[in-house]
Amino acid sequence: MVIVKRKELSLAEKLYLPEVLRGLSVTFRKMFEPKVTRQYPEEPLPKTEVTRGQPRLVVNEDDAIACVSCGLCEAACPAYAITIDGGETDRAIEREPKRFDIDMLRCILCGFCEEACPKDAIYMSDELELADYSREALIYDIEKLKRPKAALQKRIDYVNRINKRWQTPSST
Amino acid sequence: MTTLEGFLIALAKTVVIFLGVVNVAALMTLAERKFSAWMQYRIGPNRVGPYGLLQPLADGVKFIFKEELTPAGANRFMFRAAPILAALPSMMTIAVIPFAPDIVIGGKNFGALTIADLDIGILYILALGGLAIYGVILGGWASNSKYSLLGSLRASAQMISYELTLILTILSVVVMSGSLNLREIVEAQSDITRWNAWNVHAMPQFVAFVLFVVATFAETNRHPFDFSECEPELVGGFHTEYSAMKWAMFYIGEYSAMTVMAALTVVLFLGGWSVPFWPDAPWYVGLAAMLAKTGCFLFLFLWVRWTLPRFRFDQLMRLGWKVFLPLALLNLVVTGAVVSLR
Repeated sequence: MVIVKRKELSLAEKLYLPEVLRGLSVTFRKMFEPKVTRQYPEEPLPKTEVTRGQPRLVVNEDDAIACVSCGLCEAACPAYAITIDGGETDRAIEREPKRFDIDMLRCILCGFCEEACPKDAIYMSDELELADYSREALIYDIEKLKRPKAALQKRIDYVNRINKRWQTPSST
Repeated sequence: MTTLEGFLIALAKTVVIFLGVVNVAALMTLAERKFSAWMQYRIGPNRVGPYGLLQPLADGVKFIFKEELTPAGANRFMFRAAPILAALPSMMTIAVIPFAPDIVIGGKNFGALTIADLDIGILYILALGGLAIYGVILGGWASNSKYSLLGSLRASAQMISYELTLILTILSVVVMSGSLNLREIVEAQSDITRWNAWNVHAMPQFVAFVLFVVATFAETNRHPFDFSECEPELVGGFHTEYSAMKWAMFYIGEYSAMTVMAALTVVLFLGGWSVPFWPDAPWYVGLAAMLAKTGCFLFLFLWVRWTLPRFRFDQLMRLGWKVFLPLALLNLVVTGAVVSLR
């Protein structure tokens, strides 16, 4: 059996008022302490290289999209968010997507597409905000997904660095 | 002074005081959120207007456009009458509270800044204060909801028990001042050098002052005595079923009651418009002093709300009947003895 021993209250505590004043002094002091609120749209969230936001397509320095529409990201996507229609191009890489849609409402931001891509053409950007007025507007096409390589460089460097960790020396 | 002139002066005073108190009540909703935010390391509303000053306006617009719901089985007439009954008494109480001494502009005396300089001002306040409970109890009863009913029952029990303390403490002040007229009560305590100055200042009514302030909290259903709302147990208490402007009326009633009670505390215990060591201060200084003192008490209402947890209902009743009532009675007896033997 547990016997709870209650603390005997002193007279000052029984009178309430001294304790009330003590509590009031605490809250009064707290009023002038620094605020923890983040004024979100004006003060954006801190973004680091690890930030895994929405997937974006890399546009190389020659203004051409790096994607060759191999379809590996489409296959890797666990949420079936990616739709690719391939097509030919006169450039050296011969193929490029005619249509590359990511349904941002389905995308779960897992980053599998980034891992699957053999051409380093798709990366998880640090863009986090996703809001619009219709479902249709949230199916992003190539034009909405294109980003210059420089904008994604932080993430690209990070992924390369991490990938190096797993490289094993060839047995041959 | 002609009759027309007197009428116009009275009208001007009414408009100024009424609009002033209603606006203060509106700003109090903002102040409540601001101070609560600051005490919790937050910033508070700051989107509508500079420093969020237009927030009450935005809230008002929202209330007007919200859907009004009436629960099934509610007594429709009473359900509609209750918010009006809750807001009206506190707004009517303003009438007798003097905010400034005789206003003199260009050598012309316009009289004290009060709507009605009643000789039985205190009686009037107490009578209307007693009416305020009707809004709460009718609102809870007419809603046809168990939470509302429980909330209103608690609120009425609480308001009635604390009204006794309130009246007894006011009586001691009346005994000290020898008048039921609020303006005369202020004038009686305005001379800081006299023994009964500022009622609380020279200590003779300090106990009454503390009791009165605490009873004020209970009377206006504010923390730590807001058992009529008590959201953890009773959802929203007596206004659970209210929505839109009807609900806002309860809110306006609560905040204007706070404003009136704060002003009343200042008038009864802190010498109203009188400024220490400046007995012949001009009327605008007096008005500023009155408003500043009232502001301090309004801040106290918010400050206490965000500091203390809610009492338990039986603790509240015990405090009211077993502690406050005997203390107030004792204080009245001592005051009477001292005043008559002096």
